Amino acid sequence: MVTPQDNERLTRVGPGTPMGRLLRRYWQPACLSSELPERDGAPLRVRLLCEDLIAFRDSEGAVGLVDAFCPHRRAPLFFGRNEECGIRCVYHGWKFDHHGTCVDMPSEPAGTTLQAKVRLQAYPTAERGGVVWAYLGPKELMPPAPDYEWTRAPAKFSYVSKTFEHCNWLQALEGGLDTSHSSFAHNNFNSNKSEPRQRDRSPRIDVERTEYGYYYVSTRDLGDDGKYIRVYQYVMPAQQMRPNNVGWFGGANEMPRADGHIWVPVDDTHTHAYNWMCAFDENVQFTPEWIESRETAMGRGSNDLIPGTFVLKRNPSNDYLVDRQMQKTKNFTGIAGVNTQDFALQEGMGPICDRSKEFLGGSDKAVIAMRRLLLEALDANEKGATLRGVETNTHRAVRPYDHIVPPGVDWRPIFDRELQAKW
Amino acid sequence: MLTVEENQRVTRVGPGTPLGKLFRRYWWPVCLSKELPELDGAPIRVRLLAEDLVAYRDSENKIGLVDAWCPHRRAPLFFGRNEECGIRCVYHGWKFNRNGDCVDMPSEPAGTTLQAKAKLLAYPTAEKGGVVWAYMGPKELQPAEPDYEWTRAPESHRYVSKTFENCNYLQALEGGLDTSHSSYAHNNKLGDRANLRQHDKAPAIDVERTDYGYFYVSQRKADAGTYVRVYHYVMPAQQMRASIIGYEGVRNKPARLDGHIWVPVDDEHTHIFNIMCAPHPEDELTPEAVETREKAAGRGKDDHIPGTFRLKRNQSNDYLIDRQMQKTQNFTGIVGVNTQDFALQEGMGPICDRSKEFLGTSDKAIVGMRRLLLDAIAVNERGGTPRALDPETYRKVRAYDRVIPEGADWHKVMEKDLVALW
Repeated sequence: MVTPQDNERLTRVGPGTPMGRLLRRYWQPACLSSELPERDGAPLRVRLLCEDLIAFRDSEGAVGLVDAFCPHRRAPLFFGRNEECGIRCVYHGWKFDHHGTCVDMPSEPAGTTLQAKVRLQAYPTAERGGVVWAYLGPKELMPPAPDYEWTRAPAKFSYVSKTFEHCNWLQALEGGLDTSHSSFAHNNFNSNKSEPRQRDRSPRIDVERTEYGYYYVSTRDLGDDGKYIRVYQYVMPAQQMRPNNVGWFGGANEMPRADGHIWVPVDDTHTHAYNWMCAFDENVQFTPEWIESRETAMGRGSNDLIPGTFVLKRNPSNDYLVDRQMQKTKNFTGIAGVNTQDFALQEGMGPICDRSKEFLGGSDKAVIAMRRLLLEALDANEKGATLRGVETNTHRAVRPYDHIVPPGVDWRPIFDRELQAKW
Repeated sequence: MLTVEENQRVTRVGPGTPLGKLFRRYWWPVCLSKELPELDGAPIRVRLLAEDLVAYRDSENKIGLVDAWCPHRRAPLFFGRNEECGIRCVYHGWKFNRNGDCVDMPSEPAGTTLQAKAKLLAYPTAEKGGVVWAYMGPKELQPAEPDYEWTRAPESHRYVSKTFENCNYLQALEGGLDTSHSSYAHNNKLGDRANLRQHDKAPAIDVERTDYGYFYVSQRKADAGTYVRVYHYVMPAQQMRASIIGYEGVRNKPARLDGHIWVPVDDEHTHIFNIMCAPHPEDELTPEAVETREKAAGRGKDDHIPGTFRLKRNQSNDYLIDRQMQKTQNFTGIVGVNTQDFALQEGMGPICDRSKEFLGTSDKAIVGMRRLLLDAIAVNERGGTPRALDPETYRKVRAYDRVIPEGADWHKVMEKDLVALW
């Protein structure tokens, strides 16, 4: 349970809020690189941490991320002309480069001193792993660009997609750090009791803090078959890394890999989930067909999105097309798509979950630990102390892993080797 | 730049707000006359200055403008029966005339004293120039009916249309008093240096206050001299501009006086009344000329969502912007001059945050207009008389544009141009 005051502190992300200031110390995904496919192409609307922005790829390939409104008379730069290394407002022709410097002011007399005085709010950007990242925090505290393992893997071995969620980021992140619910919400084969996650539905959770956040070990007891151990990573502020070495039925996964999400607050009540996968090594290659089948299973295949958007067709407006007959006979929720099941549960909590009314148990340990880290980080940030996960050397080598360990065997030596990034 | 408080003062229009009180001193357009085509026809919904009203044309051809809800149990009068000089609520049959008097109360016993006590809120109306006007202010301060030149022009020389805009009135009015942006947002032929507004893209602007508001003169250098445009700001929310000569410097056929009145529906929505008036008796506004012009502005017959005053090119579809067209043909990639304006004005958000702007010399007319409005709010609060209440102040006002010889005094050259003929 969280007090209403702490719930506010944890969930509100606008400029000037405690969490808004903390999240602005980290690089955040602004959009997919594929959303800005060409130089001098159409600008893109971006809403990030409650700020309305415009992204554009300039003539040199650099990505500008600027205030959505021209500083002159607040006309929308979305309609602007992206040309010759800058964005030009179509109201009076003022033009700004991706640093926010005014490079032309044709509606004022030649030689005007105004041009040197006006600035467009502009944020530093970086492109890594198919994602455009932005830093919205204080200039003097800007860390190096993010360097997660999946951002370094070559294109054939990694993939990233994006989905829009109608709720606060924290309840989405909590779902991502909760292996326990997968025995229920993601139970898509009601009658199959041989799955490891059905054989033990109340895993033991152990959390270990690190300088990037924590890892947590979930242990499911499979009796004579040993222990099913999953090590998840929580990389602050809002990234989950989870392993898929073991398949759903206990055998080897056809594509041993790490999966993960970053939950990026659009504003207090909307979130973009960035969904990435990364092969464990070069023996595992993602084909487009396999990616599509995987994304479809998650509920976000190419036919699952409202065209031209990142919004699922199965969404709160149609109750995710819940099928009560299917729920009786085939799966636990009656909803198709693993992450669509998550959305139904997370969005269904309301725009911002009221955590003063919750009632937590032992399986929620990882969720509690994450909130505790965030609350501590809020204080650390106010005091000017070091924050976990900001420096790239804290998160560069991090990787998740899972394995079924035979009875009596210590999991640690096996895992120590495997929890190291290979890309 | 305005402070957050000033921005509130000049944008909020509801009853009791400072600007709402000022605006209620003036007559406002309610609807087009043709929206109420017949006696005893269907009532229409009107939202004006954040008040929900119903308008109907009664059996005597007078316009009733009344509260949208019956005073009895707040049933919607939109579903009412417009019959025998009054509107009758279909819930319990109470009937009110256009003055708001209850003339029948059939659900109460005969001889009830309630009937004399029940009043429906009703506002005085007038019809002028194809527009229904209303006065929503204090009875004792009601000025004479509006009398702009275009309201007197014969129907053959006048045309009025209406469009709905999804933002506060002020950012729309500002666009209308800003000749500078026409060199950019309305540049519909990239690279055309012959265009008068492309030839000089930083016009010199002079603002002169008058007893109706102000006029402002923009001067652009041209090959043949100086391109002079005289705009009027007639308080509280009317622009008059001239389109005597076209972008190419040639006299328009027909020459026109154009204008808009931006009428607040509420704080975040606006109705624009678009006015066209032929200034010379020999130039008629034929239906073809009107349609050509309305189409160029983006509001031709096919440009509306049928049955509404909303454009098909609107916020929900990014005005059908064409980025290829933006690269090669026009500055915005959007079709329709006033649709370009909508994209910019609506795109500022429901109410533009003027505490974050950065103004230049090309914004003089905008600064002047805001100052007049803020002054008028203060004058009204002190019980004084704001500008442009008396039709005498604006009856003769006319806009004009002309290319004059370099060095000539536009006051002298254009003195006669600027006087109403109708």
